[in-house]
Amino acid sequence: MKSVPLKVVRNQEIAEETYEMTLSGELVQEMNRPGTFLHIKIPGSHHVLRRPISIASVNQELGTCTLVYKCTGEGTRALTNVRPNDCLQVLGPLGGQGFPTEEPSTDQEVTLIGGGVGVPPIYFAARRLSERNIPFRVILGFQNEAAVFYEEAFKQLQATDVTIMTDDGSYGEKGTVIDAFLKHDQPSSYIYTCGPRGMLKAVKAAAHPDTRVYVSLEEHMGCGIGACFACVCKTEDETSYVKICTDGPVFQSNEVLL
Amino acid sequence: MSERLAVNLPGLTMKNPIMPASGCFGFGREFSELYDLSLLGAIAIKGTTGEQRFGNNTPRVAESPSGMLNSIGLQNPGAKSVRDNELPFLEQFDVPILANVSGSSPEEYVNVVKTLNDASNVGAFEVNISCPNVKTGGIQFGTDPEQAAMLTSLIKEATNKPVYVKLSPNVTDITAIAKAVERAGADGLSLINTLIGMRFDWRTKKPILANEKGGLSGPAIKPVALRMVYDVRQVTDLPIIGMGGIESAKDVIEFLIAGADAVAVGTANFTNPFACLEIIDELPTWLDQLNASQVSELQRRGVVL
Ligand SMILES: Cc1cc2nc3c(=O)[nH]c(=O)nc-3n(C[C@H](O)[C@H](O)[C@H](O)COP(=O)(O)OP(=O)(O)OC[C@H]3O[C@@H](n4cnc5c(N)ncnc54)[C@H](O)[C@@H]3O)c2cc1C
Ligand SMILES: Cc1cc2nc3c(=O)[nH]c(=O)nc-3n(C[C@H](O)[C@H](O)[C@H](O)COP(=O)(O)O)c2cc1C
Ligand code: FES
Repeated sequence: MKSVPLKVVRNQEIAEETYEMTLSGELVQEMNRPGTFLHIKIPGSHHVLRRPISIASVNQELGTCTLVYKCTGEGTRALTNVRPNDCLQVLGPLGGQGFPTEEPSTDQEVTLIGGGVGVPPIYFAARRLSERNIPFRVILGFQNEAAVFYEEAFKQLQATDVTIMTDDGSYGEKGTVIDAFLKHDQPSSYIYTCGPRGMLKAVKAAAHPDTRVYVSLEEHMGCGIGACFACVCKTEDETSYVKICTDGPVFQSNEVLL
Repeated sequence: MSERLAVNLPGLTMKNPIMPASGCFGFGREFSELYDLSLLGAIAIKGTTGEQRFGNNTPRVAESPSGMLNSIGLQNPGAKSVRDNELPFLEQFDVPILANVSGSSPEEYVNVVKTLNDASNVGAFEVNISCPNVKTGGIQFGTDPEQAAMLTSLIKEATNKPVYVKLSPNVTDITAIAKAVERAGADGLSLINTLIGMRFDWRTKKPILANEKGGLSGPAIKPVALRMVYDVRQVTDLPIIGMGGIESAKDVIEFLIAGADAVAVGTANFTNPFACLEIIDELPTWLDQLNASQVSELQRRGVVL
């Protein structure tokens, strides 16, 4: 973990209000676990809090990493104005636990389920699984056609299947990722999922009891490094708390109260 | 050079006037992975209560221009665990600890002070009578001069270590509280804690914080903090640890001019985890500009403005 400037290589809209940003710098060498994230300082003096954004992919040959972020508020709006060759102050990579892409063996299957801007860390996991020749299926949920991104990218990774669901049916199939998930009756060994809390809950409830489900959680953060107790989540038995920034952001679904 | 920055306060022999503020630095573990904590003047550790506390629901932080709201709700592992697990970890660093104490009742405050009293690296206590984020305790001791004084004298009886009282800005007259705790035996004052505020999500029409209200900190509160340090300096000679929105060495100079003897840096640690170190590095240049050979020459200017 370091706090350093990274140079912006690219920052482009790839779907409605959704931007892909590529950064370069030495810090990229430390980025190797899907599910981990960067804590990004918003340029200017207005914003005292950094923004946590997942690493969507890294290219170690080029020394670059790519993020995908949705413009949802003032800070991410300011990020859209960043231009190539600008520098961003980045703290990271953060997170003590990512998706365990080293665990599955080639005779097991992983189901990847992403909702909206929960898709980026899922994509990083897919790249790792693909490198290891682990079979995986992908279910992505978006609001509508305009919001869809990375469908092609997942297909290029030789996913067994890529299903796109939209809330309004304007692209792929109409419905939720759970609708798509329930249609497939062969339970997989693992599920990796990231998206809104309600979706994670539904995935957990729908999963086969033998499937190991890993969820990536989001919460408003202060420090991002475990010092401020802003980002806590109750454990499933409600006797204790975990810190999402350092104990997660990825947890096995029975570790946390969703 | 280190001599130039040195500051001596009751219980705290500081290499420089900079300490991270309570609640913004945990118990130092995380930041110790970023830099050597021995470089700091002191460390104010997270507010500690008698028993473990889990705090409020999330979201616990929200942003506002040049500031943030927090409603952590004093989550901490409890005094015994702080004594047995956190303070021993900090022993490896050559830095005095200001142990921040909270509670729902005078008995709880006293119990925490007694539990932490024998830790050799605790140089002094900082009594938080100003936490806006817990329903019982904290704030009512900070808004009524009599209660503040009563609590201060009880704590003074429980320890031989210096006691700093951390004042709330959520009062009409902060000098009345300052005078009351001074009379009750306080050895120093810390100010300011956060200002109570709110933000709403325009989409859901609900408060952003699960706790609805939270404490505002960061550069947005700096002028308020400077005014309060200044006002309190007019009525007391007690050492003052000033805080509220400090981000740079220049901000530190402003607090010293207003009447502070040392400062604490809170929110800036989130914006830039190296904030405290960078401020310490920049201070000598600022002393040069002011033709001051030592930080101590700048202290207490407030009284003679
Ligand atoms: C570990 C982690 C990984 C994430 N990865 C991505 C990603 O890859 N792509 C992406 O688009 N988004 C991601 N998010 C969500 C992203 O951090 C928020 O959308 C973003 O911080 C909102 O900032 P803003 O300036 O748009 O909104 P504002 O409303 O201006 O933000 C105000 C404050 O609230 C916080 N906040 C608001 N919404 C969220 C949220 N959903 N989660 C956390 N903090 C929030 C902000 O960080 C900021 O401190 C991730 C969140 C976490 C915790
Ligand atoms: C996340 C957070 C947690 C805090 N927790 C405590 C606490 O436990 N005890 C306390 O006395 N003050 C606490 N404070 C207040 C700070 O110590 C400080 O008084 C205040 O934030 C103003 O300084 P700043 O503007 O530099 O942050 C907390 C502040 C923040 C932002
Ligand atoms: S964001 Fe500070 S503890 Fe997680």
